[in-house]
Amino acid sequence: MFNLLFAEAFKLRHRLRAWLGPLLIMVLVLIAFPLSIDVSQYDLNKFYFSIIVISLLMISFLATESIFSEDYEDGSLEQIYLEEKDFYKVALTKISIYVFFIGIPMSLIGSVFSFANGVSADELPKIFVVLLFSTLILFNLFAFGSALSLNKGAMLGVLVSLPLTLPVIVLLGRAVRTIQYGEGFLEVLALLLGVGLILMAIMPLIISATLKTHLE
Amino acid sequence: MQLITANNLSYSINENQLFHNLTFALDSGSGLHVKGGNGSGKSTLIRILLGLTSPTKGEVIFPEPSPFISYLGHKNAIKQYLTPLQNLDLMLDSSSLESAMTWMRTLGLARVQDEMTATLSFGQQKKLALIRVLSNPSDLIILDEPFVGLDDSSRDLLSKFLSARLDDGAGLVLTSHIDPQVSCDELILREKEDV
Repeated sequence: MFNLLFAEAFKLRHRLRAWLGPLLIMVLVLIAFPLSIDVSQYDLNKFYFSIIVISLLMISFLATESIFSEDYEDGSLEQIYLEEKDFYKVALTKISIYVFFIGIPMSLIGSVFSFANGVSADELPKIFVVLLFSTLILFNLFAFGSALSLNKGAMLGVLVSLPLTLPVIVLLGRAVRTIQYGEGFLEVLALLLGVGLILMAIMPLIISATLKTHLE
Repeated sequence: MQLITANNLSYSINENQLFHNLTFALDSGSGLHVKGGNGSGKSTLIRILLGLTSPTKGEVIFPEPSPFISYLGHKNAIKQYLTPLQNLDLMLDSSSLESAMTWMRTLGLARVQDEMTATLSFGQQKKLALIRVLSNPSDLIILDEPFVGLDDSSRDLLSKFLSARLDDGAGLVLTSHIDPQVSCDELILREKEDV
């Protein structure tokens, strides 16, 4: 497992465009949005978090778009199958590494930008944790979409995984309200973490079966 | 010791039957050269033996414990954005790296070991991919068109290596349009015929 973790981290680290690209686009979106509309700081505070959530959704999709396709196209998936006999560990490792290398920085960027747009410093750690757990869920869902559309273009992945992300968006909205009103935050956070962990356990199984089907 | 037993393997895709009731066994120290025209099902048979593709009918049986298999197919399984050395680090255990470095020198890849793999020629990339097979102490070697893209001296080296591995007791299954110059049984696939 450590070898897999090391190998996936090594590969992603050398694919600058795969991890830095999504992060830069997120920064760009979060900078460009307030510049493109004419609102007061007071108004911006109210809905800036929605922009962060939507950019988190889009960037998560973008980041995981090629999570399996590169290994599929160059034949590495076949070699992995011969060694491991399934793709559970590989899928789990890849999602973990992507959350570590892209999800955590995305959550940090989201937190910092929400701070820059009027969210108080006390609420910053709460926003970071909410974004991080959401990223965990989104990366699992989009990784499934990516596995499903491995050689069929990205559209199938979007069509399948996007509806699954809608409850996450609703949950995130709920989390923001609890942060604003100071009640029930831990409950929503526990729900996000629970869903994230369940997906983390189940989704690699589904992804493994999906990838095997593509190799057939 | 039998490394693979294939029982009544059949494979059809859509209405097209590639092969039917194919039965053979491969012992350690013996080789099988799968021959046939384009589209006759050579690569499909290899993938079925590896468990990558399911046969329409029949089964492939491996002994327990399963033999350690080295495989190189049509895709090289190397990363274009890494150097050859980094690729070797990624694909091999530390115990095989010393042998891999020797093969890098033998195959003339040492001088490009720090260049980006994307800049290497087709033949050089094929050699790099072959090092995965050459450096691993496998019980069974399965190769799909391994000689394509190799120059004459590298072909000779590969043939000698495969012969030596057969002498050591490894098994070999390969497809090749080029004479492998290795002592092997032949299995000829013809379209729409029983074998």
